[in-house]
Amino acid sequence: METKLDNKLENFCADLQAKPSRIPSDLQAEAQNYMLDKDFPTTKSERFKYTRLAKLSNTTFNTTQALALAELEAHCILNNAYTIYFNNEQVFLPNDLPLGVTICPIAESQTHYHEASFNDVFSALNVLYAQHGVSIKINAHCALDKPIQLIQVNSGGKHFYRHHFEFGENSEASIYIVSKSIAATHSFAHTHFQYEIAKSARIKISKIQDCSTGHFHFTEDRAKQDAQSHFEINTITLDGSFVRNDSVVKIEGQHAQTYLNGAYWLKEEQHVANYTTMDHKVANCESFETYKGVASDRSTAVFNGKVFVRKDAQKTNAYQSNANVLLSDHASINSKPELEIYADDVKCSHGSTTGQLDETALFYLRARGLSEASAKNLLLQAFMEDVLTYIKEEEALNYIHERIASRFNWNY
Amino acid sequence: MSNYTENELAQELENQEYKFGFITDIESDTVPIGLNEDIIRLISTKKNEPSWLLDYRLKAFTIWNNMTEPEWAHVHYQKPDFQAIAYYSAPKQTKKYESWDDVDPELKETMKKLGISMEEQQRLTGVAVDFVMDSVSVATSFKAKLSELGIIFCSFSDAVQEYPELVQKYMGTVVPHTDNFYAALNSAVFTDGSFCYIPKGVRCPMELSTYFRINAGGTGQFERTLVIADEGSYVSYLEGCTAPQRDENQLHAAVVELIALQDAEIKYSTVQNWYPGDKEGKGGVFNFVTKRGICETNAKISWTQVETGSAVTWKYPSCILKGDNSIGEFYSVAVTNNFQQADTGTKMIHLGKNTKSTIISKGISAGNSQNSYRGLVQIQKGAQNARNFSQCDSLLMTDHCGAHTFPYIECKNPSAKIEHEATTSKIGEDQLFYCMQRGISEEKAISLIVNGYCKEVLNQLPMEFAVEAQKLLAISLEGSVG
Repeated sequence: METKLDNKLENFCADLQAKPSRIPSDLQAEAQNYMLDKDFPTTKSERFKYTRLAKLSNTTFNTTQALALAELEAHCILNNAYTIYFNNEQVFLPNDLPLGVTICPIAESQTHYHEASFNDVFSALNVLYAQHGVSIKINAHCALDKPIQLIQVNSGGKHFYRHHFEFGENSEASIYIVSKSIAATHSFAHTHFQYEIAKSARIKISKIQDCSTGHFHFTEDRAKQDAQSHFEINTITLDGSFVRNDSVVKIEGQHAQTYLNGAYWLKEEQHVANYTTMDHKVANCESFETYKGVASDRSTAVFNGKVFVRKDAQKTNAYQSNANVLLSDHASINSKPELEIYADDVKCSHGSTTGQLDETALFYLRARGLSEASAKNLLLQAFMEDVLTYIKEEEALNYIHERIASRFNWNY
Repeated sequence: MSNYTENELAQELENQEYKFGFITDIESDTVPIGLNEDIIRLISTKKNEPSWLLDYRLKAFTIWNNMTEPEWAHVHYQKPDFQAIAYYSAPKQTKKYESWDDVDPELKETMKKLGISMEEQQRLTGVAVDFVMDSVSVATSFKAKLSELGIIFCSFSDAVQEYPELVQKYMGTVVPHTDNFYAALNSAVFTDGSFCYIPKGVRCPMELSTYFRINAGGTGQFERTLVIADEGSYVSYLEGCTAPQRDENQLHAAVVELIALQDAEIKYSTVQNWYPGDKEGKGGVFNFVTKRGICETNAKISWTQVETGSAVTWKYPSCILKGDNSIGEFYSVAVTNNFQQADTGTKMIHLGKNTKSTIISKGISAGNSQNSYRGLVQIQKGAQNARNFSQCDSLLMTDHCGAHTFPYIECKNPSAKIEHEATTSKIGEDQLFYCMQRGISEEKAISLIVNGYCKEVLNQLPMEFAVEAQKLLAISLEGSVG
């Protein structure tokens, strides 16, 4: 008699198909190796301490449906941008691209791959099963006149995607990555973003995550930054029942600057986890992290930030802060801001707060005739504004404000 | 002295040899090395223990057998071979001393070298000392005075014989034998320790104190301390340790349980200076300690620790704030030098309403050492209006050392207020400049800054202990602390 252990990971992978891809074979071999004897992580593993995957392994996913371009266009946020629509195997590219910008499906590009850095099994699965994505290349000294907008609409199925970005020396760009999913559909998407930021480039990534309930949204950012560059990732999570973001930024050239910001508004049974790793490998760099969130109903928010300062990274300035407001008895906040420092001439600090709205501020507003609800909403909005100031495009900002107001019934 | 720089200070720290390295030549009564049920039965028989305690030990041993050593801490070391340790070592003379004069002069000498001469302490400070030398308590002072008030302060083995009902009622209620690898090991093989009971409404008139010392080579020490403060009582308990120089690593796995009943207050202060290993990182004590206290309604537990010794430290004095309005505090200075590694911090578990906790942790790393703070602040659903403030600062002395912070913050109640902040830096050039500009030499300036940096914690120590703490800090960081 053969006894078979129930391996959830194997079950999960059973209907995934690996087709030949351009991912280097040694990277694939490493992923295979990493996967050996692995199962779905449980709450006993450090990185999944607060994330339960039972729902993911019990979900039956809807079949993937291909959406027409017109349907995708409905999800557009910025009207004045170079817009790429991405839905499963379909990629719709803009036809008005300026000189110095190349965008193509990843399968047709000559992009290179960073060395393996797997933080969890999904990372490794991505290497094995990702076939689709886009490759965006911006040439040296090219400054974009308007943002690039990548709209990714998830419509059923289990998918792994990879998007690669290459920013040439002294280039300047603002990229919006909008994640959506169609309503009432069970789907899973794990998206890997790889960024290569050359010397003196000034790059801003804004991720707007507005998925629906039933969609499992995993993203991972892997960035390498060269000297004097400025790099920013703003992760704005508006909706989505399950969201996990894992950002790793490595600074490899001196005098570089990094901003990692995040904002999340949670309600119902939402689970949003933000993991960040800021790796200071060289001297004279700065990094700033600000993550802010509001959790209501039965939601759970997780923040785990790690700042590494390697031995040679003298004169590093690294700041990290995580602030949360808890609005309900059943919601929970888990915060773990970590510092690991091996150099002595550095200034590093982190702060984390969890609490509720300031009573005196509430009183001030109530005394001026605002209803309790409006006063609270106003304060919550102000609380999150620290992060939203990094979003410069008014259309995007309006979209965020409108979505929040309608989800949380914020009326003034 | 005017050109004394931070580098020189670091140099000096590295060259600092352990000052308390000596072995007292007293015949020890040691059981065969190794660990199995027979050894546990032997320890239990030797100590003439009741059967429930033997059962407890065996239960813990079975559980320990199925556990694996934890690896999550930010420390790297050669795991001890648990079968190569002698689990019981007692000084040969078993007779109890009637008076201080009867005490073996060699023991007295040992204590003198430690700078904690009992005579002096008795005369000058009025501190009652329960001196534990290799597992068995050999001298207890002020016992009579304390017993007038109904305070019980004795060795753990005496307590087992004389107050078995108290021991049985409270032992293992805060740190169960299933708690973790080292707590389970301790529960199976603990040899001695201290026991303290403060009756209802009594304010203990003096600081209670024990000094631990690892002596015979190759023996592990497994103390167990149980402090019970009954309703409305107050006690300040001091624990200090220095250990002689040894080459092979020695294991120290203690369990400390504090129970603060309604309206009671316990102040527990530790100065830890086990042998940290030499400049090359050879030898030194492994300090794997489980310390935890439980607070009932309106009770307060305050942990203060000055950690300067041990090759590897793994220690998280914690508070379970079970009762409403209870308070937990944690003040810590951890100094690591050469190849020392420390992973220390606290856990504050808020269960009751209006519970408050404060965490102040100051780390100083020098040489090639690694110093980590690891803490948990957990606010449970029912902990209405819970309040926490944490501050973890690290000071780096050289560019080979590391300072790390791993705080866990888990909040399940919307009315809770939690603040955590951490900073890492070296001694500020501007601060140094400010002092030197006013004519203070560089050495004195560094000393002033480091002293000021630790002041918040040192201030929490009882007067009698602060002197000892300053002494130990000075030994670990000589040249910087005046």
